[in-house]
Amino acid sequence: MISLALASIRARLFPILLVILALTSSMALLLAVDRIKVATQNGFNQSLSGVDLVLGPRGSGIELMLYTVFHLGKPTNNITAETFKDIAQDPKIEWAVPIALGDSHRGYRVISTTNEYFERIKFAGDQTLQFSEGVAFKELNEVVIGSAVADALGYTVGTSMFVTHGSGALGELHDDFAFQVTGVLAPTGTPTDQAVFVSLEGYELIHLGWTNGSQAISLKSLDILKIPKERLYPQTITAAYLGLSSRLGLFQVARSINEYSEEAVSAIIPGVALTELWSIVGSVDSAFKLLNWLIIGIGIIAMVTMTMTALESRTREMTILRALGATPLHLSSIILAEITLISGVSVVLAVGLVRLLTWVSIDLMSEWAGIRIELIWITMNELLVLGLIVLAGLIASLIPAGMVYQRSLHQGFSS
Amino acid sequence: MILETHQLTYQYPSGKTLYFPDVQLRAGEKILIIGPSGSGKSTFLNLLSGVLPNQDGSIRLNGHNYEAQTRQQLDQLRADHVGIIFQSFNLIPYLSGFENAKLSLRFSEERRTNVSDIRASITRLAEGLGLTSEILAKKPEAMSIGQQQRIAVIRALLGKPALILADEPTSALDPVATEQFMTELARSIDPSEQAVIVVSHNPILTPLFDRVVQIGEAA
Repeated sequence: MISLALASIRARLFPILLVILALTSSMALLLAVDRIKVATQNGFNQSLSGVDLVLGPRGSGIELMLYTVFHLGKPTNNITAETFKDIAQDPKIEWAVPIALGDSHRGYRVISTTNEYFERIKFAGDQTLQFSEGVAFKELNEVVIGSAVADALGYTVGTSMFVTHGSGALGELHDDFAFQVTGVLAPTGTPTDQAVFVSLEGYELIHLGWTNGSQAISLKSLDILKIPKERLYPQTITAAYLGLSSRLGLFQVARSINEYSEEAVSAIIPGVALTELWSIVGSVDSAFKLLNWLIIGIGIIAMVTMTMTALESRTREMTILRALGATPLHLSSIILAEITLISGVSVVLAVGLVRLLTWVSIDLMSEWAGIRIELIWITMNELLVLGLIVLAGLIASLIPAGMVYQRSLHQGFSS
Repeated sequence: MILETHQLTYQYPSGKTLYFPDVQLRAGEKILIIGPSGSGKSTFLNLLSGVLPNQDGSIRLNGHNYEAQTRQQLDQLRADHVGIIFQSFNLIPYLSGFENAKLSLRFSEERRTNVSDIRASITRLAEGLGLTSEILAKKPEAMSIGQQQRIAVIRALLGKPALILADEPTSALDPVATEQFMTELARSIDPSEQAVIVVSHNPILTPLFDRVVQIGEAA
């Protein structure tokens, strides 16, 4: 039956190729979207480890996660350094790393923080940040850059750079104070790769003389060495990462921070906020998946319609085969074999296409979106999904196969 | 005896009933079933080939009673013992002449065992019918009607089925080609094991057959 089905497919190659194209692209789209989603989810989940709580201004926990961890959106409010210090003194809190956000460098977000950031913040489970080149900043004018920043801008240890005020491309340049790269972080596959790190004091320094978002006094007119060190500690910070001495006290510490009476602050548990985030993204994902399945459904309908339309012109072929002793079941099997072959070829092509696209775009996706997609052939789950699609195609093909069966059962030969 | 029918009748869903004459066919015999359009010639052929269920009367082919067979067994019986030639469009368009001829062995183990070398058998039959290997390699669209009919004959004869049924096989041919075709068909069969029934509305074919059976009495 297979050889006859193959010969029949060869004879109707063009329309069948179009159906294969439709099925292949829709299945490839389904696979690609799912892989991007999984890679994004992994990227998000692996972006921050070792942090028990994120302290920030009271508001949306998801928003706080987005702008602190994923560098998406802008901080809406700050918290005072005084509050941060007060909370950090809690004996249940083992360590606290403050961060202040707002500025950028050629589109990459600048994170001002302390040296402890590079020791405490982990990613992908329990991996600590490593320097591929140089060391962490020590001085006011020193900066550490993520691997993607170094690759994209061609920066290396010793490169001088200025920071732009604000996160937009049109922000004013802090061109009165140059930073020098002292370290380049090894790739992590997380938003860290796309960040520029300066010390809190260095960050405060470049904002001295700034009022209402514009520069009033240039640093060039000041003797930086004479500025008292305590004057350079920021009055406010954007957020802080907290590590507890025991995770048993997690909810207790979170509650006490959320009930902090001196300032409207809150503490979020990263895992909980991520779950909330995925529940929102999940509905978009479901809608997209539904759309995808609809496209696949249309592909299957096109395949069955094509087969049914061709049946009329194949009446003679079926009659000849019946005359040769083919049973109605034989004839239905030819139709089923054809559809199985079309679906099978589409599945193989879809898997190949997705692998090819992944191979081509793997670096681009990592640099552009910070998403690391694995270069794999197929997962068990994907195989199951594609198997379901083939099965759906086969079930749908029972309609034309049944038509052939019924017709050949009741129809005699006539010349 | 290759074929024996007894008191065959067939009733259409419309209620119209056809009564067919009894036929006895021995090996080597060629009979012509003749009758006007609508007389039931094709229905008779469908009954003999086992495609239409036998409603009343009996058919016995090579020792097998149709009444005792299931539909599937009738299909197998046809595959093993019957070679069919249609009026036209005998070939599957996407297969070559050779592949079309070989198709008759696909559904019958018995016919397959009768052919030790498929290529040699097809070539021998083709040469007997005046077809070259170049023609066998062609697709039906590149062949003349006469060449297509000859390929259909090869397919019907391959594996030596006992009964060759031909439904108006010469209607698309001119009188000279018709006579040549029938002569070649008669020459190609094994008179010790095979017999031929040709259905036609054309009485001009009568001298080419051993017997003529008239169909056409409707009740």
